[in-house]
Amino acid sequence: MADSFPATISGPTSKERKYDRQLRLWAATGQQALEDARVLLVNSDGPLGSSSTGVTGVAGVEALKNLVLPGIGGFTIVDPATVTEADLGVNFFLEEESLGKSRADETCRLLRELNPDVQGYSYSKSISDLLTDPDFLSRHKLVIISGPTKRSTLEPLCQKAQELEIPVLYVHSLGFCATFSLQLPTEFPIVETHPDPESTQDLRLLNPWPELAAAAESLGDLEAMDDHQHGHVPYTLLLLRFLSQWKQTHGAMPDNYKEKSAFREFVRSNARTKNAEGGEENFDEAVAAVLKTISPFSLRSSIREIFEMQQCQQLTTNSADFWVIASAIRTFYNAHGVLPLPGSLPDMKAQSADYVALQNIYKAKARKDVEEVTATIRQLESQLGRTTTILDREVEVFCKNAAHIKVVRGRGIAQTNEDTDAVTLKALRSGLAMPESLASIFIACQIIDAVVDEIQSKPAQNQLSVDDEGLWVAQKERILALLTRDDPTPLDEEAQESIDNAIQEIRRAEGGELHNIASLAGGLVAQESLKVLTRQYVPLDNTCVFDGARSRSEMYRF
Amino acid sequence: MLKIWSMKQQQQQAENAEGGGKKKKKVTAAQLRVQRDLQELTLGNTMKMTFPNPDDILNFTLSIEPDEGMYKGGLFNFTFAVNQNFPHDPPKVKCTQKIYHPNIDLEGNVCLNILREDWKPVLNLNAVIVGMQFLFLEPNASDPLNKEAAEDLRSNRDAFKRNVRASMAGGTVRRVAYERVLR
Amino acid sequence: MATAVIGSSGYKGRWNHLYKVLSKPGPFSDEDWVPGQGTINTLESSKILVIGAGGLGCEILKNLALSGFKDIHVIDMDTIDISNLNRQFLFRQADIGKPKAEVAAAFVEKRVKGVNITPYVGKIQDKDEDYYMQFKIIICGLDSIEARRWINSTLVGMVDFENPESLKPLIDGGTEGFKGQARVILPTLSSCIECQLDMHAPRPAVPLCTIATIPRQPQHCIEWAHQIAWQEKRKDDTFDSDDMEHISWVYNEALQRAQHFHIHGVTFQMTQGVVKNIIPAIASTNAVIAASTTSEVLKIATSCNPYLDNYMMYAGEEGVYTYTFEAEKKEDCPVCGNLARKMDVDANMTLGEFIESLGEKAEAQLKKPSLRTEERTLYQRFPPQLEEHTRPNLRLKLGELVENGQEIAVSDPAYTIDFRYRLHFK
Repeated sequence: MADSFPATISGPTSKERKYDRQLRLWAATGQQALEDARVLLVNSDGPLGSSSTGVTGVAGVEALKNLVLPGIGGFTIVDPATVTEADLGVNFFLEEESLGKSRADETCRLLRELNPDVQGYSYSKSISDLLTDPDFLSRHKLVIISGPTKRSTLEPLCQKAQELEIPVLYVHSLGFCATFSLQLPTEFPIVETHPDPESTQDLRLLNPWPELAAAAESLGDLEAMDDHQHGHVPYTLLLLRFLSQWKQTHGAMPDNYKEKSAFREFVRSNARTKNAEGGEENFDEAVAAVLKTISPFSLRSSIREIFEMQQCQQLTTNSADFWVIASAIRTFYNAHGVLPLPGSLPDMKAQSADYVALQNIYKAKARKDVEEVTATIRQLESQLGRTTTILDREVEVFCKNAAHIKVVRGRGIAQTNEDTDAVTLKALRSGLAMPESLASIFIACQIIDAVVDEIQSKPAQNQLSVDDEGLWVAQKERILALLTRDDPTPLDEEAQESIDNAIQEIRRAEGGELHNIASLAGGLVAQESLKVLTRQYVPLDNTCVFDGARSRSEMYRF
Repeated sequence: MLKIWSMKQQQQQAENAEGGGKKKKKVTAAQLRVQRDLQELTLGNTMKMTFPNPDDILNFTLSIEPDEGMYKGGLFNFTFAVNQNFPHDPPKVKCTQKIYHPNIDLEGNVCLNILREDWKPVLNLNAVIVGMQFLFLEPNASDPLNKEAAEDLRSNRDAFKRNVRASMAGGTVRRVAYERVLR
Repeated sequence: MATAVIGSSGYKGRWNHLYKVLSKPGPFSDEDWVPGQGTINTLESSKILVIGAGGLGCEILKNLALSGFKDIHVIDMDTIDISNLNRQFLFRQADIGKPKAEVAAAFVEKRVKGVNITPYVGKIQDKDEDYYMQFKIIICGLDSIEARRWINSTLVGMVDFENPESLKPLIDGGTEGFKGQARVILPTLSSCIECQLDMHAPRPAVPLCTIATIPRQPQHCIEWAHQIAWQEKRKDDTFDSDDMEHISWVYNEALQRAQHFHIHGVTFQMTQGVVKNIIPAIASTNAVIAASTTSEVLKIATSCNPYLDNYMMYAGEEGVYTYTFEAEKKEDCPVCGNLARKMDVDANMTLGEFIESLGEKAEAQLKKPSLRTEERTLYQRFPPQLEEHTRPNLRLKLGELVENGQEIAVSDPAYTIDFRYRLHFK
């Protein structure tokens, strides 16, 4: 490919300037994905007992704030509550004039002020009413639900979302504690996981392709070089050269730590030291790279798992693009024993022209690998009778990231009730067994869910308070009994105490939110939303607990 | 009283006690570090430091008079500017004269690893000064700032030496007029 | 007065959620803590200073106002730029060019009734100790290490052991992309910013010679245009990274150089990033970190729960990861490791006599000290030119060289740490 440079300078557009600081994280493709997304916030679902108008929903509103600012396409707020005095003390997106009005409308209006590019919709209704419209949910790419919410609302909503493959975040923010779970579709693939750049390097020093091997050969006699030349040979070529010498004298490539250390000394001994600097930077780099880069290619187990998944093995006409490309890459791996070359070359001491030439060798090989994968894909497309063509750009990005792709196996919203599976209960038990565990906060949030469920679902109890002692005692017993359902060993004293502490801390707020903690939870929820919507970076799998009293958080897979 | 504030009272010794009165400005961390670094310098007789304002120890000039090597007989002046972020940031060093040297460009920028990519807060001013001195004893052709000078040094050491002498005398080398730096 | 606020019918119930939490003990709150009205009064009378009204600052102001604080001050020297709008939610398109501190203060005051926010547009260094002394707690949302170090050493220097109120807890937040940290610093009691300086990795620098002669990366070409070409070709203009014409010029020069070396990838965005050292920033990370810091402020001001001891880091690229730990106080920290001691001296004593007396002091025999005040080099043993310059001071009386109560700093080659004394005239 010939050099092509833009002839004129075109400065950034005003949109690029506004979003500059985030485009550096997820680029134009991530931004486009955000702009194509509408997010649904289900922010309350009726009163929580006698003296309450419902969940305050600040964490949800704060999460939306953090999504409106970076420019999602739009949002919908579903919230049947009217604005009370207590809302004004905790929710920033309400004002004096909002008192007595629809909280959905008012928060929607004030959130929209943050970004004129974002559409906002509000419904002062219960979500159950809206779900009677079969198209309502499918207009959204993500659902955020503010808890505590009764089961008869939560479960059908989560189930419909799962059918439509719409991710759901269910969040609790109660006093100093917060927890949230992420429900993802059963397979949630991510191509751009943004690993540490150091871990993405694939230099192929042990199995160079012909052009790379030729470049090392063409160096000629290192001894004959003048000091300047000798001090500027790119370290990858030095290593290739010394490796082939090593192989000739030792019969094989350095394999274990001991051999690699010996090889490293061999490289070091070839550096010239009788110069002005008393050493050579390129040799220093080569020495430093020996242990890191001289290893045969091995397929990461997570990638192997993906290759072995049924979706990858048995493509259909309707398979997602991800699986078609993954399958083509598996074919590539089976043929060559390596993944397509990412093509990037780290910076290293070298003359400009030599570096660019070496870089071009890597780029050309990467391009060739992409072409091979693309050819396989085109073949698959025609075999499967697919009507759409996977974009070249997508294939290229996939090949570049092939060693780090990820498939999250999504699970439902974590809950503790009679239907909870054994795996979740086991994870909870082992979470509780850890010292200083925060799993107890998750349990306390499950208890308040059960309390609210009792209050909202049983007319006889709807005059009780969300802080009703009797309800708490009863629901705690019920959930503790569940914890010993599969494993009858009683909870140890520390775990009991931890649960009691969590209950006490959560009941302190009587179902209310503290702005700081709601804002923090809203930040975390938005962070996960961004990762899910852009399909970049790696989202939570699947539950996070934050303890504001002790300034700590934990992740759990329930 | 709140815990932190009362804790403070309990903990502290009376010997440090001090009456009220308005507090004056404190010596900054950067000043303190430079005071110490200056005290620990080894200048030898080839180097001299001048402080335009002796109360401001963060800004000074260093003069180097190499007593051996190709630059012998010259007198080279560098300004040092240390900022308040020292030693997190390295000192900023510039040559005030236009000289012919592979590692110093015509604007006075100096290429010395510890002034930039290899700077660490544990390094001190002495390390910098030693590095500077070394530049005149062993000019380094391999990674130059003044490319022409480096090429001369690489291709023909004797011609390079002649050019150094000519430039130090205020002559012209490769159509660039240099400043006279001979003592 | 707090009671008046609660009493007035219009506000009843507004702080319902917050006051519930402040009126009951929790499992982790201190046993001696008395919940209720007293705590609420303390909260409302605590004056808080916010340093920075940017990404973190906007969130911090909102959070403090909704945490029940009534008297908040905010300092920021910057004006609003279009690139702030993706996260600094108190600012709108029409505010571009206005001072951040003023716009942010006005917005939060208008939204949250009963809070007073006093903005100051300028640098933290404009203010003296008397100014900082009026606050109960200071909270920082800054992007500059230098400003952090300045406020840190100022607060450490303000600690007066006889006056517990002189101890100002410093709560610091910082973010970069999906990562950030929150920390609580109790000046002189716990690890300070200076003790933790090595946690701020310096920006990796490229050798100047690489930039000058053997560029390999697009960034090298941009650095060349910015640092070398500008100096050569536009000596008389002061480079301004906010001036679009300047950035465009650098971009153009970098592009030509890249073309010459066949290097791909110089873009306008990259040029801005390299030249302005742009750090990616998003609303959600700022929200997480700002809320961590303000939660600590609330806990410290009210004692309703234990405060962070003393560092929480957050990384959000892969799941939600936080790590809370206690950063260590360094014994040899140049800021909090050697606090100024009080020393009674005779104003008529000469500097020479004073130095001699230092050598005879039992606890620290300073035989070869160099010493200075912030403004003045009193005596510097080396290099010779400075020694000559300061030698005449040896004959001057202390009263002529320092003010009563002024701090001097003493270094002696025999000790690896330095000493500070506050001189009081007998």
